[in-house]
Amino acid sequence: MASLANTARLSARLASRNVARCAPARSFRMSARERAAQNFTMPALSPTMTEGNIAAWRVKEGDAYSAGDVLLEIETDKATMDVEAQDDGVMFKVLVQDGSKGVKVGERIAVIAEEGDDLSSLELPADNSGAKSATQEKRMEAVEQKERSSSQEKSLSPEESKKSTPSSASQGGKAQKQTKPLYPSVEHLLHANGLTKDDADAIPASGPKGRLLKGDVLAYLGQISKDAPANATARLNKLSHLDLSNIQIAKPTPAPEAAKAAATAQPELPQETEFAVPISLAAVIATQKRIQDSLGIFLPLSTFIARASELANEDLPIGKSQKPTADDLFNSVLGLDTVARSSRGQYVPEITGLGPVSYSRPSNKKADIIDLLAPKQKKAAPIVSAESVGISSGDNVLSVMAKSGDEARATEYLERMKLALEKEPGRLVI
Amino acid sequence: MFSRLLPRAAPRSALQAQQQSLRYVRASPTTSSLFHAQQRGYATPSEEKDLVIIGGGVAGYVAAIKAGQEGLKVACIEKRGALGGTCLNVGCIPSKSLLNNSHLYHQILHDTKNRGIEVGDVKLNLAQMMKAKETSVSGLTKGIEFLFKKNNVEYIKGTGAFEDEHTIKVNLVDGGETSVRGKNILIATGSESTPFPGLEIDEKKVITSTGAIALTEVPKKMTVIGGGIIGLEMASVWSRLGSEVTVVEFLGQIGGPGMDNEVAKQSQKLLSKQGMKFKLNTKVVSGDASGEGVKLEVEAAKGGKAETIESDVVLVAIGRRPYTKGLNLESIGLETDTRGRLVIDSEYRTKLPHIRVVGDCTFGPMLAHKAEEEAVAAVEFITKGFGHVNYGAIPSVMYTHPEVAWVGANEQELKEQGVNYKVGSFPFSANSRAKTNLDSDGMVKFLADAETDRILGVHIIGPNAGEMIAEGTLALEYGASTEDIGRTCHAHPTLAEAFKEAAMNTYGKAVHY
Ligand SMILES: Cc1cc2nc3c(=O)[nH]c(=O)nc-3n(C[C@H](O)[C@H](O)[C@H](O)COP(=O)(O)OP(=O)(O)OC[C@H]3O[C@@H](n4cnc5c(N)ncnc54)[C@H](O)[C@@H]3O)c2cc1C
Repeated sequence: MASLANTARLSARLASRNVARCAPARSFRMSARERAAQNFTMPALSPTMTEGNIAAWRVKEGDAYSAGDVLLEIETDKATMDVEAQDDGVMFKVLVQDGSKGVKVGERIAVIAEEGDDLSSLELPADNSGAKSATQEKRMEAVEQKERSSSQEKSLSPEESKKSTPSSASQGGKAQKQTKPLYPSVEHLLHANGLTKDDADAIPASGPKGRLLKGDVLAYLGQISKDAPANATARLNKLSHLDLSNIQIAKPTPAPEAAKAAATAQPELPQETEFAVPISLAAVIATQKRIQDSLGIFLPLSTFIARASELANEDLPIGKSQKPTADDLFNSVLGLDTVARSSRGQYVPEITGLGPVSYSRPSNKKADIIDLLAPKQKKAAPIVSAESVGISSGDNVLSVMAKSGDEARATEYLERMKLALEKEPGRLVI
Repeated sequence: MFSRLLPRAAPRSALQAQQQSLRYVRASPTTSSLFHAQQRGYATPSEEKDLVIIGGGVAGYVAAIKAGQEGLKVACIEKRGALGGTCLNVGCIPSKSLLNNSHLYHQILHDTKNRGIEVGDVKLNLAQMMKAKETSVSGLTKGIEFLFKKNNVEYIKGTGAFEDEHTIKVNLVDGGETSVRGKNILIATGSESTPFPGLEIDEKKVITSTGAIALTEVPKKMTVIGGGIIGLEMASVWSRLGSEVTVVEFLGQIGGPGMDNEVAKQSQKLLSKQGMKFKLNTKVVSGDASGEGVKLEVEAAKGGKAETIESDVVLVAIGRRPYTKGLNLESIGLETDTRGRLVIDSEYRTKLPHIRVVGDCTFGPMLAHKAEEEAVAAVEFITKGFGHVNYGAIPSVMYTHPEVAWVGANEQELKEQGVNYKVGSFPFSANSRAKTNLDSDGMVKFLADAETDRILGVHIIGPNAGEMIAEGTLALEYGASTEDIGRTCHAHPTLAEAFKEAAMNTYGKAVHY
């Protein structure tokens, strides 16, 4: 936001410089007005500025100044900035003094006169808050312009956008110096009607970023109604935003309820079954010892198991419980997928040591693994023997929990674990 | 990973109590997560990004690259396994590949002799046509991955869901989980085909556009439910390749709501000439895919005559709907409207101002270039505090032959709003280039404000309309009048001259008509 303010400030400056450059044209128009003292109001130095503090006046009453001289310093919550004179002139009256706080934008703060005016005979003009000095009006224009375009970025309700469209001006937009190349139609119309490029600067411009359009010239020439350009601009501006009015919020969908239902259902939890296979850690322990003897490094059993598990989890067959998503379907239709047939498992193995006494299925180590894939609960709980039973090199049970439908996945995993730990544990750590 | 173990502890505890003396050895979670970190370099949860983007479609990937260029620390989460989203993988790009090649095939079959080209046996190799499509797709998606690397975007392959307002939990495609924290979060999860109630999509017999770009053989008979852009493009592809295609549309015109009436009528006539059949003002009541083919019961939209249409394949193309499933939006209180669009303000912010939404999953037309514009604007709102998309100048293109393209208002809209407008058009049959190309169906049509001559809409049906509409969009963006176009030099002989002459015909008179 601060940066928005910055750009706006900058452009206010630039615009005022332009104004200074085309001073002759303007003073010509100004001479039509009465030569009188003019109100000088609190300028807006950024589109968001609504008020500011007067830090200090740099000119005293009666001082003459030239265009570009600093008239006063204004403080806002963001910065202190100089306000420069746009034209030569004389400070007639300072009405709001140094140090005044919270001065509203547009409030009269001084009265200025033109060079050569007889200050003693000048009267203070009425403080009609709307009537800003010509200079001021110019300056405000630039700011307003900016404000408009920034407010276009915000979405406006239809009423608001109507208000913000340039209907305030008699004809769409404000006249401003046309710095970009004129459109072919505009150029043509100017020529055809004996107008010069300077005249173009005096025609209210309704186009994007203050560009002068064919319609603006036609309206200026009185060939079409005065407000036609503004109406066209208003219509198009409305289309330029997403219509975010009248949004009907969806009722909190049943989804959260379903989720809640699922959550309450959870305690019944695992349709998970434990799958187990007997495993001998003899080879692992032998390898462990060999490494310790030859390299002097002790590798805990958990390292072997973790590495084996890493390997065993690679590319496991997809279980039935894992329904293909719409995307999987799409991808498999496309033949793009690599996901469908296998995926990485997330099994965490558990190894339980069994005392020889408690092992209920004695020594059928060579049995087919499938035979052993029985839910463990069915097994008689091992009788706890007095002496502690730990992992032994002999019979242990390797088990994982798996969802129903994932049998093949779990089996494959266990088979791989068994292979890795019983056959070549050395390769796990080398 | 560890937390997954916890629920199991409960049911086992009884067992455990008895087995106190048993020791369990577990693969230590630390070891295995270390493995992960080394192997894949996933984000560690502690690292906070400036911007985390959910969805790597056009909206998401453009935002990611843009943010990377602006120097933000950015991560983009995509679950598809490839970047580019719907557009690159199953939308704009593959469909255009098939449209282009099927057009060539069709032209070689039917439109060579009179041009002085004698061709022998013309055969379709559908598998190769699909391969050509896949090559284009994979080339482009890899290209984006490359741009990610180049712009320091971290690409996280997985499905993202809100854990809290700043944290996204990602279920990784390769298994496992990670989470990322973002100061800002951008939701760009796109859209999916709206299903047709009562017809289950199997992507073989009952298909969406995704199945339609991947059929392995040309169906003898194909019925398309929905005569919008996607439906008509897919209908064109299969009709050109030899399928007998019927398009069933509920409304009284094809092309969807944005297309100008006059253009839609002309387009329908031309497509009919190519062999497509149309049933307008017709609604599909029910469908039955249990047999070998698919049966659709249809009747006049306003009630009345019922009829059964049988076909081998039914394409459901009744529109797309925002896709926000699984994001866990409820947990952080984000709202959608009744059509599932995530609710945003004019700066794309949700209720939680650090979470923004762009692309198909929120308001506005579901178009890739709209998603792209919004992505850039959203990043600019984050980095600069302002951004802008002109929704009044977003072009639409239908890549049939001839193409249809438009930008701005159409005639029926202007009528309805009571706008005082004028029309000017120019047929390609009077354009020298179209004539020499023997491809001269269609026209360019301008709608301009009656008083100011400011362009309100441009509608093109004709060869290369999709490229030509860029000029209309530029004109609209600049507030140009038709006279501005008419007074701008256009090369001869080009199709673009028809554009200029149509403009001239709006504010004055065309030279060649
Ligand atoms: C057949 C077809 C043809 C089309 N042709 C055109 C065309 O010619 N011109 C045009 O302008 N538009 C076309 N479109 C529309 C265009 O594809 C979309 O407008 C565009 O893709 C929208 O981009 P997006 O980034 O918003 O969404 P998407 O492209 O849908 O991308 C969203 C991405 O987010 C991912 N995602 C979703 N949820 C999650 C999550 N929880 N975690 C991680 N990732 C997630 C999805 O996998 C997806 O890849 C076409 C669409 C179709 C279907």
